[in-house]
Amino acid sequence: MISVTPTSSQAEVLDLENLTAEQTALEIRNLNLHYGEAQALYDISMNIPKNRVTAFIGPSGCGKSTLLRCINRMNDLVEIARTSGEIRLHEKNIYDKDVDAAALRRRIGMVFQRPNPFPKSIYENVVYGMRLQGVNDRRTLDEVVERSLKGAALWEEVKDRLNASAFGLSGGQQQRLVIARAIAIEPEVLLLDEPTSALDPISTLTIEELITELKSKYTVVIVTHNMQQAARVSDQTAFMYMGKLIEYADTNTLFTTPEKKQTEDYITGRYG
Amino acid sequence: MAKAKSGDFGASNYRLFKDRAARWGVTLGGILVLITLLLIFFYLLYVVEPIFRGVSVDAKRDFTIPKDGEVVTLGIEEQSEIGYQFTDTGVLSFFALESPPGNNWQPGEILLREQVVPTTPTSFTATQPQNNRYAYGTADGKAQVVEPKFRNRFVAGIRSTTPYIEYVNGHDLITVDREGRALTQLAYEYDGESMLFAAVTADGTVVTNYLEAARNFLTDEVELKENFNSLNLTGPVDQLEVTPNLRQLLIRQGNRLHVYDVSTTGKLSERQIISVDRRLGDVTTMQLLAGASSILFGHSSGIVSQWFEIAEEEGRRYQYIREFKAADSAIQEIIPEYYRRTFYTVSAEGELGVFHTTSQADLYRGKPDQISAERVVIDPRANTLLMYSGGKYHSFNLENEHPEVTWSGLWQEVWYEGYPEPEYVWQSTSGSDDFEPKFSLVPISFGTIKAAAYAMLFAVPIGLAAAVYTAYFMSPGVRKVVKPTVEIMEALPTVILGFLAGLWLAPVIENYLPGIIATIILVPSAIVLFALLASNLPQRLRNQFTDGRAALILLPLVALVGWFSFSMSPIVEDWLFGGNVREYITNELGITFDQRNSLVVGIAMGFAVIPTIFSIAEDAVFSVPKHLSNGSLALGATTWQTLTKVVLLTASPGIFSAVMMGLGRAVGETMIVLMATGNTPIMDWNIFEGMRTLSANIAVEMPESEVGSSHYRILFLAAFVLFIFTFAFNTVAEVVRQRLRDKYSSM
Repeated sequence: MISVTPTSSQAEVLDLENLTAEQTALEIRNLNLHYGEAQALYDISMNIPKNRVTAFIGPSGCGKSTLLRCINRMNDLVEIARTSGEIRLHEKNIYDKDVDAAALRRRIGMVFQRPNPFPKSIYENVVYGMRLQGVNDRRTLDEVVERSLKGAALWEEVKDRLNASAFGLSGGQQQRLVIARAIAIEPEVLLLDEPTSALDPISTLTIEELITELKSKYTVVIVTHNMQQAARVSDQTAFMYMGKLIEYADTNTLFTTPEKKQTEDYITGRYG
Repeated sequence: MAKAKSGDFGASNYRLFKDRAARWGVTLGGILVLITLLLIFFYLLYVVEPIFRGVSVDAKRDFTIPKDGEVVTLGIEEQSEIGYQFTDTGVLSFFALESPPGNNWQPGEILLREQVVPTTPTSFTATQPQNNRYAYGTADGKAQVVEPKFRNRFVAGIRSTTPYIEYVNGHDLITVDREGRALTQLAYEYDGESMLFAAVTADGTVVTNYLEAARNFLTDEVELKENFNSLNLTGPVDQLEVTPNLRQLLIRQGNRLHVYDVSTTGKLSERQIISVDRRLGDVTTMQLLAGASSILFGHSSGIVSQWFEIAEEEGRRYQYIREFKAADSAIQEIIPEYYRRTFYTVSAEGELGVFHTTSQADLYRGKPDQISAERVVIDPRANTLLMYSGGKYHSFNLENEHPEVTWSGLWQEVWYEGYPEPEYVWQSTSGSDDFEPKFSLVPISFGTIKAAAYAMLFAVPIGLAAAVYTAYFMSPGVRKVVKPTVEIMEALPTVILGFLAGLWLAPVIENYLPGIIATIILVPSAIVLFALLASNLPQRLRNQFTDGRAALILLPLVALVGWFSFSMSPIVEDWLFGGNVREYITNELGITFDQRNSLVVGIAMGFAVIPTIFSIAEDAVFSVPKHLSNGSLALGATTWQTLTKVVLLTASPGIFSAVMMGLGRAVGETMIVLMATGNTPIMDWNIFEGMRTLSANIAVEMPESEVGSSHYRILFLAAFVLFIFTFAFNTVAEVVRQRLRDKYSSM
């Protein structure tokens, strides 16, 4: 049996059911997702508050990553995926016909499980998003690089070799570089899909510290299979099982006094 | 006990055996492939190597024959078994050079000796070697022409040769000077029917007799009609020559050469006076080269200079072309070979030189066996050299198989006889015997590159675009059908493509040229325009265009534009080009238009190369890891931005090798270029002209080349060059690919 005690300094507890417009980053309403015939998400509804860290936990295949990918419409790339329901960003459903997925993804950044720097220099990796938007002014880019790398706690380690290949960095550094790349375009929401699963414990710790810092500027949504991590970094946690949202609550509450039996079984290590 | 325990750790013998057998099998296979490659490589080199060998002169034997007076000329029979000499006393003697199985001779044994002129002759001349006639001039203005001949008989399969002498005009002497003056110098030539004599008489007059052959209609016999002429020149004449076509009379006075045209009735008219440059030294001798369009001058400085006629504004005139440093002392005699442009020189100090004019090759210089040559002769097959020196004869084995080929001659401009300037020419055969084969690998190498370049121009954009589209934009279901289909195209026999290109595509292109050009311009423009339009649609509509639905609208559009281009072709042709583009291009623009041209080859060979490029490039693009493209998309990149900034960059090693593999295929491709190019070895980037490639050249000419000849070996050299071409392309491809991969490899 594992006992999980939340360690992060938690902010005030919010009423997740009834957030004010100012407090809300994203509203998910009745979201269903099918992969061909198979349904992967069942009627998910939740509010994701602004400038906080929200964690999705659950056993493998529970749909937590799928849900995360719905938020920036990465599931569009899967040909057989169909979605229904709404995800609202500033009252606008991102699945509306007049929404450009590329424009949406500029506002909702994403970091993947495996570090995926481009085969370019560290500098070019960070400014990639800026260049996509046509920003080529050297001074602006230099500022962005410094700000983003500092924001991702990587600046001190790489400031002398910005033009070196990104492949020369360690796994943990690469993942922070990818985070720097994501925050360089100043998204509103940052989606982290198991960002530390491919990293060693020390790199994991650095990233976790970083996540806690990031929430002052961004709304962070993190998927993790590591409950301690969820407990350490998140403000509220959603537990998912078999494509359904079982329980969604303040992290402290969820880990100490879960309402549902399934949640309790999972966090106490009975399955998963 | 011990057995049981060892069995616990060791693998079973059978598994060990399989493992070893597999390892050895694979190693052996790999080694065999390498060996085969090396064998091909070395066999090509082995066949090619003799063309770069120098001349070797090896002493065979020496002997003496009884003296009959001063030797004026020597000759050798075709089998190199019998030699003969003419002396200033008018004696022709045949002597044995060998002891052949059919005749029981000793070298030096006299086989036939005859006084061919009744009186003591005053002058002597020999025709060009291939005519093999000799003439003595007499003190009463007449000439006796004889031809040494040989009769071969086979007894029990063994050949025996007997010499005999044929007297031209029977034993009757032919009058050269009607006034009966002594002939101090004589020149004679024979073109198969007519003959021309030219002589200098004792009082310094030049007289000629043109014996014009006329066929008697009743008896069908050839009768010779005499046409006498004479010239008065100031100053003594040093040398007289008549060209074997009987069209020119050359009279040398010191360093000046008078060139006279001889009309068909024997009339003389002066054409040109050549003043030989003092720089070369005084002229000591003059000789016509085989084929007789070149004059060789021997100079006192040991230089031999070559002159031939070049078309100028005032007609064809002899010009200085090139020179050879043949010896350190004056050139005494120049001996041309029978058929090739090789000549041999003898200097005042007895030095022998062997040179080839066209290839500008210095093949040999020196005294073989330390013997100073006085007179030298070569047999018709150019493998025996007979030298007369100090009353003694020396025979030598001569190895001079490929004098016309030099490395520089293959790759540099060469000044061929009759050409106005040095040029790159490939022309291996012709109808005429006087023809000199021209082997320059430059036009055919150029053709190879030109064909490949036009094919790549067509294939690279289409192949790569198709590959990128299939790998990156196409839905997996469609891709599963499209990819194997394009790859099957690769298995299409190229002979079919060549056949279609030559017989169907070439005439279509010729008839619908404006349509073809319009298609090349309009179709890509229409696609770009369509894309522009689509990207300006409102987002709501644009979202409908995902996953290949755009292609469904684009395809009919492309078909429509293509149809439009072709159907307006005749109208445009009538309206802009006066009804016939081909004539317009040729007459108004002055551009040569061949029906089998580079455009046809570009399209047909491009079609053959597309599957290669497509297949490799498609794999490269498709295998770019998804997490890289997703990373880019997640940063708000459009699919196009992701493609150009991440996917193509990561796939660049594969794309590069796809292009290089395509290039390798285009360079080596044979059947299409053979059937669709017209095979003209010209050097011109003009898209409306054909070309001849290395591979097509080998395919066309190998069946007609004589095994072991220079032509044959040069074709092998062409194969070797082709091998090096593809080898180089593949090596460059591999090196660049490795470097790109180090740089852009993903994790």
